[in-house]
Amino acid sequence: MNTINKNNSTHSQRNAVSEEHNAVNKERNTAIEVSNLQFSYTKESPPIVDIKAWQVSQGEHVFLSGPSGSGKSTLLNLLCGTLTPTQGDIALLAQPFSALSNRQRDKFRARNIGVVFQQFNLIPYLSVAQNINAAVYFASTNVSKTASDAQLRHLLDKLQLPSHVLHAKADALSIGQQQRVAIARALINDPQLLIVDEPTSALDTDARDSFMSLLKDVAGESTMIFVSHDKAMESYFDRHCSMSELSPSTNHLKTRGDEAPKAQERA
Amino acid sequence: MLSTIAIESLKRRKTTAILTLLSITISISLLLCVDIIRTQVKTSFTRTVSGVDLIVGAPSGQLNLLLSSVFNIGTPTKGIEYKSIAALQSNKQVSWLIPLSLGDTHRGFRVVGTTNSFFDHFKYGDMQSLEMAAGSAFTQPLSTVVGADIAKSLGYKVGDKIIISHGLGSVSFNNHDDHPFTISGIVKKTGTPVDKAVYVTLQGLEEAHTGPKHSPTSMLGRKPADKAKEHEHEHEHEHEHDEHTKEHAVYNSEAFTPESVSVVMLGLKHRVTALQLQYQINQSKKEPLMAILPGMALAELWQIMGNVESLLLGLSGLIVICALIGLATMLLATMRERYQEIAVLRTIGAGPFTLLLLIQIEAMLLTIVSAALSLGLVAGLMSALKPWLSSTYGLFLSSPLFGQSSVIIILLILGCTYLVSLFPAVAAYRRGLHAGLNANS
Repeated sequence: MNTINKNNSTHSQRNAVSEEHNAVNKERNTAIEVSNLQFSYTKESPPIVDIKAWQVSQGEHVFLSGPSGSGKSTLLNLLCGTLTPTQGDIALLAQPFSALSNRQRDKFRARNIGVVFQQFNLIPYLSVAQNINAAVYFASTNVSKTASDAQLRHLLDKLQLPSHVLHAKADALSIGQQQRVAIARALINDPQLLIVDEPTSALDTDARDSFMSLLKDVAGESTMIFVSHDKAMESYFDRHCSMSELSPSTNHLKTRGDEAPKAQERA
Repeated sequence: MLSTIAIESLKRRKTTAILTLLSITISISLLLCVDIIRTQVKTSFTRTVSGVDLIVGAPSGQLNLLLSSVFNIGTPTKGIEYKSIAALQSNKQVSWLIPLSLGDTHRGFRVVGTTNSFFDHFKYGDMQSLEMAAGSAFTQPLSTVVGADIAKSLGYKVGDKIIISHGLGSVSFNNHDDHPFTISGIVKKTGTPVDKAVYVTLQGLEEAHTGPKHSPTSMLGRKPADKAKEHEHEHEHEHEHDEHTKEHAVYNSEAFTPESVSVVMLGLKHRVTALQLQYQINQSKKEPLMAILPGMALAELWQIMGNVESLLLGLSGLIVICALIGLATMLLATMRERYQEIAVLRTIGAGPFTLLLLIQIEAMLLTIVSAALSLGLVAGLMSALKPWLSSTYGLFLSSPLFGQSSVIIILLILGCTYLVSLFPAVAAYRRGLHAGLNANS
């Protein structure tokens, strides 16, 4: 009897160790983990995003698609921490991101998440160097820390930008150059997570292909969520997720013409 | 970095920023000017006379008497007859007496007829006696002693001859050409109206007006006890002076008896008797006279000016607040066009509080630059107006121009900037709470 008990105990211990190992392994491998996530702009309005479970592994490049108004940008804002979930949890890089305070979330974002916008990526009146250094400033605890000129030049070189643009004002650059500078700014802190929101919508096919090759190249081992409504881009990525699959209930409502009003999104 | 962003942002909104800067600079300058004039007037007036216990003149008002006798401002009153002066002279409580005869000018500067007693007894600032930068006090009837500013601006030196004009004003048609006065001394700079006055002997002044008169029957201005000292004093002069002055070194300016003088300054043996003597003089039945205590007259002046001061300060303060509200409005108006910037800053890690801080830094930068410009502007303005203020209003600006009150004003303005900039800053903060990707879509 004692032997059986002993055996059972050893077995349960082994199970616990195995679960722990799995958990550690899972933590190490999961970059984004979303569970029971809901978000609505007001208490009365229906949720814009409603995701039961979603995981993205570290180093994975995910293509997120969906029609306009499907909640893509809202989901990205939730992942960035500029919006707080109405319900549910978001864990980023094994951190309970949605449970952090606003201040902690801002710091976490500055250090670990690189963001590239659809447009208006840069602060127009700052130079390219100042735009990139702003990201260094917000990520650092040392207020006077800036990226070295060599560091900046190396990054620009990698993004095929001439080094003289470093001191040019952001609004003096072409849209394509601005997007590359935005990538440089997103990468300057070596983020583990890259969030890219429809950066190719203003580019023609050739420019888009060259931009995508460059982005894939510089993103390297970082986890990337790339958002676009253009499904033709899917081929560049490891996995494709559509908003209608991720958030079926909200997208089901929208197909019935019950879209969340844009005015509410802007609120 | 935040200050770089703030500076670049203001540079981008150059026109509105410059206009706002200008309005704040002008309003702060106005407030500083009012404050400087207020404090400098007090300092300047208070340091002008010290040690004079009573000022006696014909009945007018104590302010008029004070301003015309000490500050060389306004018109002098009717004169005091010699017999009244003699009575004051013989009063046991009186230690010394300075007669002053006003009403003439030299090239726009006031001419004051007096005796050597003025140079012996008149004190300014913290009981400082008048000192000669060159030469000596009166050495002959047609001697004159000029103030430091006059000597400097008109390039006078001891031995030069000057002509005085009848009446006040910078242009006169009645010059006493036949009675040129010789400069016997130049008074060291005092920072008081003495610097801008020409002192001549009572005898010389009367001769210039009426022709020569000799009546060495009085020892005006000095008590008999002073006579011996007088002698010694003049002997000292004899050794000091050049050949020109030597022959007149024994001149006793107090020996002349004028028909009347405009004002008399009195020094008492015991200051406590000032009120008693003032009462006696004011009640005098022989000739209606008025005696004033300089301190009391100044106090009355401050009382009158106090209300005006408060009014001016209040108005200037309101103008500054209006300019600061303009600053807040400017920042608030730009907020709509800045939503994209706010979104970008948020996504690269700036918290809403950082955005609040950024707007406040912009507001503070504008006010600090305005304050610095105002300090420079006011300092320049005051330095340019210095001669005019001293000649027209008897206001002698002394350094430091900016005192404790200026510092308090600047700090209060910065405090107000902080408060009014909260409106646009909170707007940026609130926007920052919701700003994120695709904020414009």
